[in-house]
Amino acid sequence: MPDLDRDSPAGAVLEALGFAVFVRDKSGALRLSGTPPDWLRSIWPDVASAASLPIDHASPFLENFLVDAGGCWSAGGEKRARSGPWVEQAADGIELSLEATALTAGGQAILLLERLGEIFEAKKSMLQKARETVIAYQRLNSEMQKKEILLNCISEEMNAALANVITSLRLIEMEKNPAQIAQLLSLASRATEEQQTLINKVLNVFAAELEGLRGRNGMAIAEAKLGDALLAAEENVASQFADKGVRLSITGNGLAGIRVAMDSTHLTRVLSTLLENGLQSAPAGDEVRLNFAEESGSILIRVTDNGPSFPKDICANLFSRATTATPGPQALQLPFQFCRIAVENCEGEIGYESRKDGGNSFWIMLPTLAATK
Amino acid sequence: MIQKKICMIGASGVGKTSLIAKFVHSMFSDKYLTTVGVKIDKKTVSVDGSEVMLMIWDLEGDDDYQRLQTSYLRGTSGYLLVADGTRQITLDQAIEIQGRVVAAIGPLPFLLALNKADLAPQWEIDEARTDSLSARGWRSFKTSAKEGAGVEEAFIELGRMMTQSK
Ligand SMILES: Nc1nc2c(ncn2[C@@H]2O[C@H](COP(=O)(O)OP(=O)(O)O)[C@@H](O)[C@H]2O)c(=O)[nH]1
Ligand SMILES: [Mg+2]
Repeated sequence: MPDLDRDSPAGAVLEALGFAVFVRDKSGALRLSGTPPDWLRSIWPDVASAASLPIDHASPFLENFLVDAGGCWSAGGEKRARSGPWVEQAADGIELSLEATALTAGGQAILLLERLGEIFEAKKSMLQKARETVIAYQRLNSEMQKKEILLNCISEEMNAALANVITSLRLIEMEKNPAQIAQLLSLASRATEEQQTLINKVLNVFAAELEGLRGRNGMAIAEAKLGDALLAAEENVASQFADKGVRLSITGNGLAGIRVAMDSTHLTRVLSTLLENGLQSAPAGDEVRLNFAEESGSILIRVTDNGPSFPKDICANLFSRATTATPGPQALQLPFQFCRIAVENCEGEIGYESRKDGGNSFWIMLPTLAATK
Repeated sequence: MIQKKICMIGASGVGKTSLIAKFVHSMFSDKYLTTVGVKIDKKTVSVDGSEVMLMIWDLEGDDDYQRLQTSYLRGTSGYLLVADGTRQITLDQAIEIQGRVVAAIGPLPFLLALNKADLAPQWEIDEARTDSLSARGWRSFKTSAKEGAGVEEAFIELGRMMTQSK
């Protein structure tokens, strides 16, 4: 086979594609055909003068591949062997990704060296994303398993504590002796305390989740379409509204195309929480109103009901950051805490107003993202 | 000087590339850059007074996207099997891959590196698990490519096992 001339069309095409072609001679040496591309010289500077590939001492990877190549060459015919990608370092420290192919052409054993380009880079970034996703999924999965186990154990313990309370109460009912009664009472009261501790444990599990959400600041910017999130929230609550015979009336316009910087599942959860809350206080057969109004650069969403206003002390702590030891109000606050963190995370605000003429009104204000085409 | 080829084997993201970076270049980065293809690094170590040049092959993690190519294992004197201590599943994967390696190239010296030891609060692999592995003759090291703990020890111990088992 004649040498590939760099100036011949075939040689120029191979070079432009980032290929270097080697032909195996009778002695078994791999002789460069044509002029070496610059990248080849940057890795093995003496390849041009020697005109053969100094594989044995220069590249342990190629040396290893030549075993597979040898098998392919002796088989001849259509058979090919590919090395898979590998990295060589150029003299200037830059890393180049290469791939080798062994094939037989015109009765001669050919080794093609290719400098991998854009397609390889695209494949790499796809693999990067895929692997990151797998790892994130594994972490989430094991996190969920741990929580499930924990909650299961706690429920079992709560059940045991509750059984103690019930037994003590039954015995107290039948007991006449005051000393015995006192003892049973203290037993029951210890069991209730135990239960309270366990309930707090459960709340702490979710408190950690809220912390995690708080930590999302500075991560990749999430984005949600308000219209979609609202539809999903409506779907979430539809059957509960139907059960109680409460209507949901939605007013406002220009919803289409509004996007906010919040994870869409979080936004759906925030809206569902507000609607569920409205439903809870709304009288049966009445209605809950959701109104949205776009203002310059932000959107105000208000959920209003005609139910009895929340007591003052609860209002004061509705969105409180403080987690108290008393389980009662904390349980009520938990979904609101979630709302507050999610809303504040995208630089929005959340608030509550009790209306003069009765009823409650919750509002959130979210900065909107500029429309993109 | 004696030359020994060793391969880094294990699931994706367990820290194979990071262990090499720490051992060879004393560097660590928190950013995850997946390895695609093979990269070879060299480092000379002193094993019981004699110099050994380690040729360390960083292989692409074995996963659904890319299976371990056994042709890369040809001529290796031993391997470091790496698992991520904060992801229990990567230990199961390491055990499964090790089975394939033995089927391909037979029994060779290897060490299990339970990496990311610096992340103690997230650690998922309990003593019972490692005990049952050592009962099978597996030797394991806790390593941290981030803080360096156990890294040099693991490579040198592997070097020792390989020079002794000629
Ligand atoms: N905290 C910690 N992170 C590590 C350690 N080793 C690797 N990592 C991180 O884990 C991720 C995957 O590491 P990499 O070396 O690319 O894994 P490979 O796919 O097995 O080569 C990277 O984000 C590393 O920064 C370690 O010992 N401790
Ligand atoms: Mg890697």
